[in-house]
Amino acid sequence: MVSAGASRVRSIGRVLFVIGLIVGFGHALPSAITVNDTQPDPPAVLFSRQLLAARHLQVGDVVELSGDPSGANPQQFRIAGSYEPMPDPIRVTSERLEARLHLPDLLRLTGDPDDPQDDDSLSAINVKLRRPEDAEAFARDWSARVPAIGVRSSSGGETEHNPFEVLSRFHQAIASLTVITGAVFLLALMVLLADERRETVGTLRLIGLTRARVLAQVLVEGAIIAGAGAIFGVALAALTEGVFNAFFQWRYDTSLIFVRVTPSIAWRSIAVAIPLGMAASVLASWALVRSNTLTLVRR
Amino acid sequence: MSGSHPPIVEARDIWRIFPMPAGPVAALREVTMEVSEGEYVAIAGPSGCGKSTLLHVLGCVDTATSGELRLEGRDVGALSDAARSRLRLEKIGFVFQRFFLLPMLTALENVELPQAEAGVPPAVRLNRARLLLDYVGLGHRADHRPSQLSGGEMQRVAIARAMANRPRLILADEPTGELDQATGEAIAGLFDLLHKDGTAVVVVTHDPSIAERAQRVLRMRDGRFVDRELA
Amino acid sequence: MRALAFAWRSLLRRGGRSALGIVGIAAAGALMFDMLLLSRGLLVSVRELLDAFGFDVRVLASEGIPQSRLPIEHALETARALSALPEVASAVPFRIGEAEVAAESERPDEVALFAVGATTRRIWTVVDGRDLSGREDDALDVVVNRRLAERMNAGPGTSLELRGRCSATPSILPPVTVRIAGVATFPFDSGAQLTMASRFEVLDRLCERPVGEADLIMVASRPESGPDAAVDAIRKARPDLYTFSNDEVIERFERVGFSYFRQISTALAIVTLSFGIVLITVLLTVSVNQRLGEIAALRAIGFSRHRMAADVLWESALLVGIGGLAAIPLGMALSIWLDAILRSLPGVPATLHFFVFEPRVLWLYAGLLTGVALGAAIYPMWLVTRLPIAGTLRREFVS
Repeated sequence: MVSAGASRVRSIGRVLFVIGLIVGFGHALPSAITVNDTQPDPPAVLFSRQLLAARHLQVGDVVELSGDPSGANPQQFRIAGSYEPMPDPIRVTSERLEARLHLPDLLRLTGDPDDPQDDDSLSAINVKLRRPEDAEAFARDWSARVPAIGVRSSSGGETEHNPFEVLSRFHQAIASLTVITGAVFLLALMVLLADERRETVGTLRLIGLTRARVLAQVLVEGAIIAGAGAIFGVALAALTEGVFNAFFQWRYDTSLIFVRVTPSIAWRSIAVAIPLGMAASVLASWALVRSNTLTLVRR
Repeated sequence: MSGSHPPIVEARDIWRIFPMPAGPVAALREVTMEVSEGEYVAIAGPSGCGKSTLLHVLGCVDTATSGELRLEGRDVGALSDAARSRLRLEKIGFVFQRFFLLPMLTALENVELPQAEAGVPPAVRLNRARLLLDYVGLGHRADHRPSQLSGGEMQRVAIARAMANRPRLILADEPTGELDQATGEAIAGLFDLLHKDGTAVVVVTHDPSIAERAQRVLRMRDGRFVDRELA
Repeated sequence: MRALAFAWRSLLRRGGRSALGIVGIAAAGALMFDMLLLSRGLLVSVRELLDAFGFDVRVLASEGIPQSRLPIEHALETARALSALPEVASAVPFRIGEAEVAAESERPDEVALFAVGATTRRIWTVVDGRDLSGREDDALDVVVNRRLAERMNAGPGTSLELRGRCSATPSILPPVTVRIAGVATFPFDSGAQLTMASRFEVLDRLCERPVGEADLIMVASRPESGPDAAVDAIRKARPDLYTFSNDEVIERFERVGFSYFRQISTALAIVTLSFGIVLITVLLTVSVNQRLGEIAALRAIGFSRHRMAADVLWESALLVGIGGLAAIPLGMALSIWLDAILRSLPGVPATLHFFVFEPRVLWLYAGLLTGVALGAAIYPMWLVTRLPIAGTLRREFVS
């Protein structure tokens, strides 16, 4: 996809556009939107769910919109429906007070009346290429051909500084720290477990079990404990996923999904936990297995 | 029943009943006894007859289900837990079968411990701890930890610890139970010494060599005294 | 031997286990410390950034996000009128725009352009060449940041050709040739940002806007009056304008823009707190359970319940305290790493930090660790104080 802006245009004149004239803390809104039921058959407009709720409007109401924050030159529209804005993590803390208009209505609303060509100008055209891999070349070619417009590939470059990439790296860093902390906890538990069974290990050794056999048993136990713990953790995360999402969706009035336990994450958790558990159990039991058998059974 | 001195401990009609899933079990039934100042009493009897329970009640670590217990004339049943702790700290010395020395402390520090808890100044308690270790013949092992001592040595340290706050009553529960005969004899000799120095001693024991040294031997069966004889 | 010394000896007795507890607390504590740094770090840093501008009051024509704000008309006259208020030291109108500058690469570079009215107070510091002047001949002078100068291989005296980016699209107006007067540092620059400052005339030529409009007026209050008095005076003089002190901007940022980091730091601080409590509770509980005979014997000797509880509490405090102390340098080191990750977010000023140390963090951290030590000790203390002395001694002999 090649884009010159944020809006998606499939067929000019028919597509619904996101209009950013009603945003922010809402102080400009009273002058920009006025409810009016007198005008017959005004053009249709869609309001975001949040905007309908914030202005106590409902589908069917006629409103006046203005392209000017001061409310000058208002035009009437009838609210044909409401929609849920596209979830956007970047705007999670913003109130999604938005409306969508047919493009000709938007151009009429926002155009400069003194500029006859203004109703033929757009802020952006999104282009879907037949061969997406040609996006960079296409952008270069069109930038050279039409110097007055900027043509950019929507997928090219700067992935390292993409906000989601950065946040993902941050979350991974935090996750790795919690894994290290969890590993220490696991090791502490295994040490306690090993200490608890000094006599058992001593007895097993006395009746003839080899060190390797005892160590194998310890390994299996470590794997079972860590595996069971990881499965419990994944199950707990899956169970509480809905609670987290419900809370944050309520908190930010968005349909954005904040937490999702995917099979890949579940498997990764288990795959990290089991070797950690085995390593912790061997580390914790090493001294025990190497100890003199008689010292183990003697309290 | 008692010696010529006034009683330190007076137990009257003591019952100790333990609630059990299969029904209540009476570990002590109508036990009445006195221990006079400086007296040496042995309590003997088969396992499970209530000897240790009686010692625990006398030492204020367990509470009788009914009956009256007086220590130096004070009704122990009326005391709070904190007051009973204080009483044990200052008036009673305990010697256990398993010694219960603290492994992270040296012999000297183990003997200092009850004095420190009683608020004795460091210099005073250090001096007394050394004297007590000399008294039990372990002055040369003062800086050794329990893991570096033999069983008999550990019990001697435990006796020194029991004497730390100059108690008027020493209670010992099977003090030679984990020791060989020769070591047990040496420990018994220490109790003789304590007795001679005026401390009242009550020993629960299976060991005839200790029982025969006591002034009185109280034999128990099924939570009661069966007969009483003067040694 | 008092409870603290006794607890210390008890920890030494089980050295390996105690070391694990300390390491666990150090790891959890480092994360908790970092979350405390994060919980207000951005606020503190934004505050420092705002203060670094040298202005403590902002005046706008409307609220809302920058794209939807009304411009301040007759900004120069308004700024002069505000400067005349006794509470105001200086008022500078600003216009914010974008431009493109032709680079050696095929794609022109985007430049953030700050245009100021003819005043002497600046938000940048000139490090090479000279500053903008008020002379008529210098109307098309600009100062650029070091990155732009290096990118264009230019310096003081060099000319640049600019094309305006008005309403996010390249202007069809002819390009304007400007002259670099100096190189400056801008407090809000991100590592990658190309920044330029000019007088209003440059932006007027790049994008046709009514002459005299500004996006905001930045005001420096007089030290003897302070920003609150200046805000009151401006609101009284010009009730049609929206006036905010830096404190009010920060308060709004805290309510709206800062939620994510506050939420994540709260959630992770709770997780690490819980982790610390569970770890130490487990260690102390097992330790107490393995010493029941000893504890019963000490109680029999005459140690009070309070004393035994104090021993456990001190053990908890020592484990948490030592681990918590070790966590501070560890957390500081980790915060540098985590801060570097977050600072690679696009558009983040180079001087902005997400993890910022302030003394109150230490107090809060100490308070939370105290909570961990207390919380972790509750169950083992309960075990110790409820321990039946006689029953435990009896069980020990039987075992």
